[in-house]
Amino acid sequence: MPDNRLTQTEASLNPAVTQMVNIKIDGIELQVPKGENIIESAKRAGVDIPYFCYHPRLSKGDAANCRMCLVDVFAPRRAPDGTVSLAKMPKPQASCTLPADEGMVIVTDSEAVVRDRKGVLEFLLINHPLDCPICDRGGECPLQNNAIFYGAATSRYTEEKRHFPKAYPLAENVVFDRERCIHCARCTRFTEDISGDAQLGFLKRGADMEVGTFEHTAYKSKFSGNVIELCPVGALLSRSYRFKARPWDLHSQRSVCSKCSNGCNIKIDYRLDSLQRINGRINEAVNEEWTCDKGKFGHSYVSSEARLKTPMLKADGEWKAIDWTEALQILVGKLRDADGSVAGIGGQRCTNEDNFAFQKLFRGVLKSNDIDSRVEGYLGSVNKPLYERFGYHAMGNAIAELEDMKTIFVLGSQLVDEQPIIYLRVRKAYRFKGATVINAVSSVPEDSPKVGDFAQLELVYKPGTEAALLKGILSVLSAEKLASVNGSAKGYTLEKAVEETGVSAEAIQQAARLMATGKLAIIAGREIANHTNHLEVVQAIGDLAEATGNAQNINLPGEDVNSQGAADMGVLPDFAPGYAPIENPGKNTAQILQAAADGNLKVLWVAGAKLLEKFANRELAQAAFASDTFVVVNELTMTETAQTADLVLPAASFAEKDGTFTNCERRVQRIYKAFDISLEIKPDWLIFSEIAARLGGTPYFSARDILRDISAQVPAYEGITPKSLGDEGVRWEYPAK
Amino acid sequence: MAIRNLLFEHREIAGIEEMDVYEKLGGYEGLRRAVTLERQAVIDEIKTSGLRGRGGAGFPTWIKWNGIPKNTDKPHYLICNADEGETGTYKDRELMLKLPHLLVEGMVIAGYACLGTAGYIYIRGEYVEPAWQIRKAIDQAYKKGYLGKNILGIEGFNYDLYVHMGAGSYECGEESALMSSLMGERGNPRLKAPHAPLPVHEGVWKSPTLVNNVETYCAATWILKNGGAEYAKLGTERSKGTKIISVSGHIAKPANYEVEMGTPLLELLKAGGVTGGKLKAVIPGGSSVPIMIADKLDKINLDYESCAASGTMLGSGGFMVFNDTTDIVLLMKRTSEFYMHESCGKCTPCREGTRWLFKILDRITSGGGREGDIELLLDICSQIDGRSYCGLGDAAAWPIVGAIKAFREEFEYWIEHKCSPIGDHAVPPTPVVVNPLLTLTPA
Ligand SMILES: Cc1cc2nc3c(=O)[nH]c(=O)nc-3n(C[C@H](O)[C@H](O)[C@H](O)COP(=O)(O)O)c2cc1C
Ligand code: SF4
Ligand code: SF4
Ligand code: SF4
Ligand code: FES
Repeated sequence: MPDNRLTQTEASLNPAVTQMVNIKIDGIELQVPKGENIIESAKRAGVDIPYFCYHPRLSKGDAANCRMCLVDVFAPRRAPDGTVSLAKMPKPQASCTLPADEGMVIVTDSEAVVRDRKGVLEFLLINHPLDCPICDRGGECPLQNNAIFYGAATSRYTEEKRHFPKAYPLAENVVFDRERCIHCARCTRFTEDISGDAQLGFLKRGADMEVGTFEHTAYKSKFSGNVIELCPVGALLSRSYRFKARPWDLHSQRSVCSKCSNGCNIKIDYRLDSLQRINGRINEAVNEEWTCDKGKFGHSYVSSEARLKTPMLKADGEWKAIDWTEALQILVGKLRDADGSVAGIGGQRCTNEDNFAFQKLFRGVLKSNDIDSRVEGYLGSVNKPLYERFGYHAMGNAIAELEDMKTIFVLGSQLVDEQPIIYLRVRKAYRFKGATVINAVSSVPEDSPKVGDFAQLELVYKPGTEAALLKGILSVLSAEKLASVNGSAKGYTLEKAVEETGVSAEAIQQAARLMATGKLAIIAGREIANHTNHLEVVQAIGDLAEATGNAQNINLPGEDVNSQGAADMGVLPDFAPGYAPIENPGKNTAQILQAAADGNLKVLWVAGAKLLEKFANRELAQAAFASDTFVVVNELTMTETAQTADLVLPAASFAEKDGTFTNCERRVQRIYKAFDISLEIKPDWLIFSEIAARLGGTPYFSARDILRDISAQVPAYEGITPKSLGDEGVRWEYPAK
Repeated sequence: MAIRNLLFEHREIAGIEEMDVYEKLGGYEGLRRAVTLERQAVIDEIKTSGLRGRGGAGFPTWIKWNGIPKNTDKPHYLICNADEGETGTYKDRELMLKLPHLLVEGMVIAGYACLGTAGYIYIRGEYVEPAWQIRKAIDQAYKKGYLGKNILGIEGFNYDLYVHMGAGSYECGEESALMSSLMGERGNPRLKAPHAPLPVHEGVWKSPTLVNNVETYCAATWILKNGGAEYAKLGTERSKGTKIISVSGHIAKPANYEVEMGTPLLELLKAGGVTGGKLKAVIPGGSSVPIMIADKLDKINLDYESCAASGTMLGSGGFMVFNDTTDIVLLMKRTSEFYMHESCGKCTPCREGTRWLFKILDRITSGGGREGDIELLLDICSQIDGRSYCGLGDAAAWPIVGAIKAFREEFEYWIEHKCSPIGDHAVPPTPVVVNPLLTLTPA
């Protein structure tokens, strides 16, 4: 394990051991795994031990500092004559770091322990501002809660308190109230253990100690929002939520983040019809409990003023608000007149239900197979790159499986931006499970965190030379007899790879050697998805995976919240739902846009796809929109793409509808409607359904109806019901080959 | 008078800090003898000597040495704790300044016995001159083949020695904080057994690590040269050999005195000679240990058990003498200021408690004392003692508890009269000497 970490604090979580030991907590006898922190064992026994600094996902190294969890401990002691007796340890022990051992007896309710807790709380409060009435944390504050249950009613402190100016601007989204900090080191440990940038640390010492960045620079992270939730007091505060609400005035709805394909489980906290904040929700399989800053702070659009609240029609170059009756009439007319010359693009940001209704409208009612959800570079058959060879489409591994890898190879990806939660798993695999990480990119950003910060090896190649790099690695594997290599690397040499990629021979050799040592996962990113020779690169990735015996560990995750689900639902020109091949395939995204640009398309329906913003070939998209094709767009706000349309329909955001998303690892997860912004806003599926009804199709009346059809028609979704998804979602599997 | 100069035997010899003089007087014979023995025999020699750690806690040295695993692939590190931050203690300074080879030799012996890969001497940042001497001695030892590859021609006995300067933190003398600091981290203490493996198993860089005080290593040199049994002839049953006591305060001859363990405390006082008034109190082991009132001193001998039995500790041997011009409350205010300033801030009781203690003592000595303050001080101390993460918290609480126990009426006086019971509490007169270390010798 490389030691290029910024600091060396102990990386240790509760160990995964099978040996059980017998202990006793407050008279309750129980068996627990040897070495488990006593505070966890106490949970099993139903005994409450108050704590502040302890956190099961943070390492023990800097823990045990708050001293809130002290307990009395009696440990068995063996006398020289072999007799074993219990001896009380002279000092109370921090149960958050004390490993359970055979015969230990723990007492949490002695007079001494009660007094110790009072003492710690008294100390914590002597310098605390106690401005609970105006503190965001008030009402959900561990310090308040522990003070109520374990503290004394009064304080004996009459000296001057420690004072600092409020709202120190720590980060773009986080302000810091230093007076409220109780120095628990959760935030500092987070940056070292979890996000990996180690930006927060303690400055000064003693009672002057404060949290900060080492040179008082801004805390620039992509995960800064997590420290707000980790902080056991109201010291770290969300800039956007500060002073917005009292926690007890908020309603909370379970949801899934809409910002990327990782599918973090979140809570939408809202008042009336307005979103106040996003907090993480635990899903061990996906985000554990974290969110990234995009997810935590990027949902302000939901309740923003910019939301479209009525359909908008462009007439003579001017936007005009119209009502739904008129909008539907116009659209139905256009679709009828088009007589099959209609196409649809989009769906990656819509739910499975939206997508299913979308393709059903096109295939069943409009009689067109010209639909595609994809906006990335490669638009050929989705079966070609991986499925035909390995039996799966995007991710071979579940996110959590990455923890079990010996080596992780990240290729062509700014992983932390593209797949933040996968990034955190990779970091966890490195930090806590001893995985070796290799990063290959064409450019290295300055900002931390990033995979390169902790990768054992970083290969920086000339843009576009991924295939050469991979073949170079394969040729080393072959030359050094580390693996038997077939396929693309035949006849390829290391020298050639060095020349093409600009990566040194030693680095390629080292990479090859590291990859040949055991379980290897390959994660390929945006550079591969948009590669002009996508198939060639994926072919080489496949060869590498196969040569090292890791054919099931290739991962090409999509990027949008429902990239996976849209494909599953058959929003593809050549596959019906469940990847059922279609006899006469339609046009893909590029071909549709080309047809529009050439004047060969009557109606183009864009469902939440940011074509102008995202599509690789922007000129083509512009030409398509400038043509005579009637463009209708479902959108939340007037995006650049919406601006160029003829008709814009106000669509519901993820906070305003029920449904399911399928994340990049194929986990189907449920979202719940939290509130309505306006009754004039409709979920996409309802818009498609209303059009379908007017054109003679059968309408849907709820997302649940659609899900019922999905589980009946898509084999992989068989048996999926809102109930079966539970809190963790269900990851669908390919049938065994 | 039981002054017994073992380590200090050659302290007054001119040029003893140089290799040639040191060798002429028997230097490196301890090492030469050690390498003729099995490694375990060296450890047994230490065991026979009964040597206990001189850094303060008095932990049997051989147990640590013996605890270093004998069959790991990991490097083994040896650390010399030369941070000497304990108030009133300056013995390591003189040892390093005048007898640097004694330490270097001791660390090579330990390196031999414990399969050391490298040794680090962590020297308090202010000790610039002692560090010079140590560096010079290390250079000389390399030239002579006492350090480096195949030491003394023994195949595979490779051992390097480095000096690392501290950055001005008392806490970095605490061994786990020292290890953090040595690794380039913030000087915070680390988890200890049973919460984490012992340093002898996983210390710095997760490798077996031995930490001993300067005086401990120096004593090991003497023991290997003269035999553990010889060392064990001195001292009491459970405190063997000698201890260097740094005497300071209202004393005519402040200096380091090497005394046989078990020497009556009053004998040392006689040698030093109390000045400027009647003897009032003594802190025998550095500012962290409880203060002892003058009329109880006749029962105390300078050894671990006797001090403990009297409710104080031998500690690091920072022996501070106070005459009757001393205001104990002011002394405690200054002491608590020290601990407040040195608290690393990691744990709640020490971080918050030490400042609170100081603030109360500061208020009392500014005429703002209130009824109940004494109980409050005691309560706060009891909330720190044993509850803090490391020993510094305890060390901050003990002296105040000790002072209130011994001199409660002085605290009460301050609270009631808003002024000192001593009248004009003059600053203790400083003896007029240029460099006490170089000019004063024990009587
Ligand atoms: C707050 C604190 C400060 C300490 N400072 C020193 C010091 O300056 N020098 C030292 O040798 N030991 C110091 N110690 C003791 C060390 O932690 C450790 O016990 C010692 O280095 C072990 O060496 P020994 O066994 O040779 O005594 C300190 C302990 C504490 C709790
Ligand atoms: S952090 Fe907690 S205790 Fe402190 S002011 Fe806020 S609500 Fe009150
Ligand atoms: S800011 Fe919050 S999380 Fe960070 S140390 Fe202070 S109390 Fe703990
Ligand atoms: S007792 Fe706590 S705050 Fe004080 S020095 Fe030790 S760890 Fe730091
Ligand atoms: S929770 Fe155990 S010391 Fe903080």
